[in-house]
Amino acid sequence: MSEQKLQSQTVQTTGHAWDGDLQEYNNPLPAWWVYTFYATVIFSIVYWIIYPSWPIGKNWIGGVSKITYVNSEGETKTHSWNTRALLLKDLNKAAVEQKPYFDKVSAMSYEQIAKDPEMNGFILSSGKTLFADNCAPCHQAGGQGMVGFFPNLTDDDWLYGGSFDAIHTTLTGGRRGYMPSFNEVLEGGQIDQLANYVASLSGIQHDGAKAAAGNALFHGNAAACYVCHGSDAKGRKEIGAPNLTDNIWLWADVPATEAQGKVAVIRGVIANGLNKGVMPAWADRLSPEQIKVLTVYVHELGGGQ
Amino acid sequence: MAVTTYSGAEQYNFDVVKKFAIMSLVWAVVGMFVGVYIASELAWPFLNFDSPYFSFGRFRPVHTSAVIFGFGGSALFATSYYVVQRTCQTRLVSDGMASFTFWGWQTVIVLAALSYVMGYSQGREYAEMEWPIDLLVEVVWVSYLIVYVGTIMRRKQPHIYVANWFYLSFILATALLHTFNNLAMPVDLFSMKSYSLFSGTQDAMTQWWYGHNAVGFFLTAAFLGMMYYFVPKQAGRPIYSYRLSIVHFWALSFMYMWVGGHHLHWTALPDWTSSLAAAFSILLLMPSWGGMINGIMTLSGAWDKMRTDPVMRFMIVALSFYGMSTFEGPMMSLKEVNALSHYTDWTVGHVHSGALGWVAMISFGSLYHMIPKLWETKIYSGRLVEWHFWLATIGIVLYIVAMWISGITQGLMWRAFDEFGNLQYSFVESVAAMVPFYAMRAIGGMFFLTGASMMAFNMFMTIRQGKRENAALEARLAAKMAQA
Repeated sequence: MSEQKLQSQTVQTTGHAWDGDLQEYNNPLPAWWVYTFYATVIFSIVYWIIYPSWPIGKNWIGGVSKITYVNSEGETKTHSWNTRALLLKDLNKAAVEQKPYFDKVSAMSYEQIAKDPEMNGFILSSGKTLFADNCAPCHQAGGQGMVGFFPNLTDDDWLYGGSFDAIHTTLTGGRRGYMPSFNEVLEGGQIDQLANYVASLSGIQHDGAKAAAGNALFHGNAAACYVCHGSDAKGRKEIGAPNLTDNIWLWADVPATEAQGKVAVIRGVIANGLNKGVMPAWADRLSPEQIKVLTVYVHELGGGQ
Repeated sequence: MAVTTYSGAEQYNFDVVKKFAIMSLVWAVVGMFVGVYIASELAWPFLNFDSPYFSFGRFRPVHTSAVIFGFGGSALFATSYYVVQRTCQTRLVSDGMASFTFWGWQTVIVLAALSYVMGYSQGREYAEMEWPIDLLVEVVWVSYLIVYVGTIMRRKQPHIYVANWFYLSFILATALLHTFNNLAMPVDLFSMKSYSLFSGTQDAMTQWWYGHNAVGFFLTAAFLGMMYYFVPKQAGRPIYSYRLSIVHFWALSFMYMWVGGHHLHWTALPDWTSSLAAAFSILLLMPSWGGMINGIMTLSGAWDKMRTDPVMRFMIVALSFYGMSTFEGPMMSLKEVNALSHYTDWTVGHVHSGALGWVAMISFGSLYHMIPKLWETKIYSGRLVEWHFWLATIGIVLYIVAMWISGITQGLMWRAFDEFGNLQYSFVESVAAMVPFYAMRAIGGMFFLTGASMMAFNMFMTIRQGKRENAALEARLAAKMAQA
């Protein structure tokens, strides 16, 4: 370094000057710079020998690095380094680790899976990823749902039932929630009375006289709400009609938090009906084992029955 | 009768240089503000206001175009017109065409920003402008080339100074890259929508051939041109090695053209193409460092300037970041490193260590040198320059460190498997893990923006001071004349 420094003080400029004082020394290339460049040349040649590199006609030099992997037909293949083989190899490695657990999932009943601590670990690990990738966009990361849009999966209130079988059916075939509009069947005053009655069932502040009239409408043939929601208004899981007495609301909480507002939202639901509660069917998108894993995972989120 | 003090202004066309220098500062503040805004959107998503006009997707190209083409581009136009005139000892070949490049280029930036916000985009990174704007860029750029080459051709110096080689290679390469990357067929004459002439992997490869050479020639070669004039000028010392400048110039120009494929590792790009790109990226390391060595060694023997001259400090820190990011880049180009870094914030951090650390710092240094000279005065406030330097440096460090941590965390989370062979994390968990680093990055950006705003103010005051001094001088002269 000190030698170089000396050199640069004794070294000549190129003899040109621009814009007054701009000049250039004619120092030689720094030796370390030249040798490091040669080293990168050697590195590149080695890299090209290891990995697939230069094209020759329609083919290319494959490189000495080889990958052994199992293809989708189950045959073991060896191929020069390529990203596709590498991906298959990685996926196979994961699949081999998962297989004994998925085999057990297939063989065991829901109750057995739920009681087996080792299987519980697997369900938590596999179910968490499956849930996050497929369910969380609607039901949110923790399964808490979103009032006004998507049901909460962590409480013990189930539109279509919270047993293993019911959850499995929901996941496999999907669901389509529907409530008819009563705008053309009832008059505005009657809808208001019904809304007050529904509010009264969950102990929300309401108008007593209107609620009494609503009670008659609910159980009478004019509105016939009881056909779907049941005479006790506790809903009918076989058709997904919700329980109206537990003060758990999927639609009527938004955006109102005041009692007045809630009655108004209920009035809107009765008047206009609902036709947006769509749960897609997963039978074609997930394997039976994956659906089974998700069934147990959702059941164990908190409210399984 | 002739007033000799004005001969400098007649010898060179500094009017267009001044205009570009001012717009460079304006776009720096605008572009960096938008950058800070979108960085904040990632940390605090309510800033989207559920409006498409405020969304990250539309603002991001506004940010990149405003800082690269607005700030960087205007700084390059300004300095290249300044350098080519002074080192060729001749006036720009055509004032009219030079003026056209100024108004044309500013129109391009404004139209581009407006069209992005309205939702028009080609979806090509750093080339989002739709075809009508591309055509305007083409015309402006060819005019730039003609002005530049014409000026060099009528130089009064026998030799072409090294800075001009770099500027010229940047102008030529950008013309080539812009033309081929934007070959597209409009849906109809009155539609902003067009379709690329290439498809699939070839389209992606064309885009990244453009994309990386935009980094190579626009953001590297051109700013090396800036470095080759302003560093020796500010240091008052000759360039370290003429020989090194020739060798690294040609090596850099040759190597850069090959490396675009490293942006497409682990994609549908053929494996052999990506290996070639990786190896050429490694080969590019020393040619890049040639520029850093030449810049830093120019200062050897005058190191005390690092302590006493804040403008010099901008330049040396720029060269250091240049060296760091041209080392980091080749490392990230290796397939195995890229398997971790690809699609993560590490890439974003790398780009900004180059963009903030190198491109912006060398531009700041050069503008601090040039603006007082253009208006024949001294910098208004040295203290503000000091403040700018430290705010910018701290801002960069905050930015890069945040992106290193968040990028490597993302890379590791995405590839983590648990003992059951399942992915350990869902994607959204990795997003949630980024939040503190996104906040840290936004704060780093705020530091940098604050520094740039101080510079804009400082330069505004410098220009005003220069104008007043000149007016006072003129008044004194006029008074003397009247007495005589």
